[in-house]
Amino acid sequence: MLGLIVAAFLLFLSLTTNFSSKSGVFSLLLDVSPTIVGAIALSMIIITGNIDISAGTILGFVAFAAGSLSELGVHPVIFMSAGLLMGMFLAGLNGWISVTFRVPSIVVTLAMNMVHLGFYATFLPNAGWVENLGDNFTWLGQSRFFGLVPYIFIVAMVVAFASMFMMRYTRFGKSLYAVGGNRQAAIYAGINPDATVIKVYLLEGLLLGIAGLLKATTANEIMPSAFQGREMVFIAAAVVGGMNIMGGSGRILGAVFGAVFVYLLSITMIYLGFQDYFQFALQGIIILIAVFITVTDFGQLRKSLRQTFAAAVKTPGA
Amino acid sequence: MRMKLGLNYQAMLGILLVVLIIGFGIMEPVFFYPDVIFDVTAIIGEIGIMAMAMTFIITTGGIDLSVGYILQLSAIVFGAVFTATGSLWLAVVLALLTGTACGFLNGLIISKTKIPPLVTTLATMNLFRGLSMIIAGTNSYSGFPDIFKKFSTIMIFGIIPIQFIYLLVFFIIFNLFYTRGSLGRNLKGIGFNENALVFSGIQTKRIKLFIYTLSGLLCAFAALVYLGRLSSAKTSMGNDLNLQVITAVVLGGTSTMGGVGSIMGTFIGVLIIGVLKKGFTLLNFSGNIFNFTLGVMLIIALIVFAVLEARKGKARKQAKPASS
Repeated sequence: MLGLIVAAFLLFLSLTTNFSSKSGVFSLLLDVSPTIVGAIALSMIIITGNIDISAGTILGFVAFAAGSLSELGVHPVIFMSAGLLMGMFLAGLNGWISVTFRVPSIVVTLAMNMVHLGFYATFLPNAGWVENLGDNFTWLGQSRFFGLVPYIFIVAMVVAFASMFMMRYTRFGKSLYAVGGNRQAAIYAGINPDATVIKVYLLEGLLLGIAGLLKATTANEIMPSAFQGREMVFIAAAVVGGMNIMGGSGRILGAVFGAVFVYLLSITMIYLGFQDYFQFALQGIIILIAVFITVTDFGQLRKSLRQTFAAAVKTPGA
Repeated sequence: MRMKLGLNYQAMLGILLVVLIIGFGIMEPVFFYPDVIFDVTAIIGEIGIMAMAMTFIITTGGIDLSVGYILQLSAIVFGAVFTATGSLWLAVVLALLTGTACGFLNGLIISKTKIPPLVTTLATMNLFRGLSMIIAGTNSYSGFPDIFKKFSTIMIFGIIPIQFIYLLVFFIIFNLFYTRGSLGRNLKGIGFNENALVFSGIQTKRIKLFIYTLSGLLCAFAALVYLGRLSSAKTSMGNDLNLQVITAVVLGGTSTMGGVGSIMGTFIGVLIIGVLKKGFTLLNFSGNIFNFTLGVMLIIALIVFAVLEARKGKARKQAKPASS
């Protein structure tokens, strides 16, 4: 997997010379950071065997909450925590409905996706459009270390390392794999799967809040509905990174590389002059191929192929 | 017990439908005019047709998120072929083939690999959407001949829209297959316990391939019905139909966990959506409010259904010691 991504990276580099320039690296790090955090959020959900189709529209609410508060001139700490709380509330609501009423998370979050979109257009002033945000808002997204490394990339890396640590060394991280891998076994091992799923949704909301803030603060205007469809990028990144869509396996490091891969692929397509609608088709194909690779038992497949082949060879002789 | 509960739930739906009609009628008296009432049945033609196949799919515990975009792709293919060749029949045949091929692709992936339906159709949804955008770009196709439009604008006895007839025909056929005969039984069986069916020698993979392909074909047919009314094919059509179709089916009492469902419920669900759509149009509400309401309704329907199921489970648990 890693080899594939490095190969892809080199291919893109050779195709698009402008990556090697300083501003190219900067914009790469800038654009990929929110995707990394979002992909990690979705990966945790997918590891427990759930999904969140409304992740993209949750980002919109996070950005709106933070942006409109910032416009009132409050301290960054306040509007940022408001954004994070907004993410936790909406994602937690998804998890709570799904767990309490035993409804598949796909249906709940699909409906929520529409509810969010309708809410933007109907109830938010100006359809949630916030303009002319000042330095108070954009200092996080537009500052950089040494003129090269954006702050938000550092944040994304911190989130990535913290998540990796959590998934590998804490009881909670292990319980996510347990719930996604074998729910019944998890119950026998003393894990409460319902509580775990609600907690993972809350955590996802927190991470989506971070992703939303990272993305929103790079620009000085916010259009919530523009975040629609981001969930497909996150899901694609997660499954390309090796998350098993049936739950139970996958590593956070994979999600990070998956995010980089998906981003590089899309930027290369734009660079080569494809229209953005090719990306819809491509995203679909990438998800299908990646999921196929992760859910298929290749040992089994090879065995059955070999048996068929052996039988075919034997028949003429016998 | 189950029978009684099913009737109760459908009775609740029926009451909701009547309440909605009366409510809209009070707010906007025009709503009671017969031609307005019948217009409701005209605007739900395409949703209703797609919802029938979706009921089959959800009964097996699957889902098809790509229906709206299969409709879109079929409509775009129809428009592109008609504009290029001028032949109506070729365009109709190719549109139907496109839809069937899309459904077949879904069915093939779902039945031959272990990829779950939700992920398959989530991915193919983007694929179909991308394809129709690649074909059409920013173009829209229009100028279809009158004979084509007649297929979805004719009024029987001058008042009943032809869509309602289509819908009734599909309803009767699907209800027959669903409630009698082996297909419906097998669909519910797949939803409850697929392994048990496999062990009793039923080709569940073939059934799944069939229902997804059927869904694709019906989406293409729905595209033609929709086009006759809209008279122009563009890439924005069908975008929000996914949710409407799924809402109609889930509202009708088909469990997303699989195994339980009813075509009659779906029919009422579709009517409720039609009444809401017409009512909102008359009251000058925007499409966004409609989608918002649908999303909220879908979630409420899921919750109500789950609560009813839980109560039923409890009742069964209490009844068990007494009976045994």
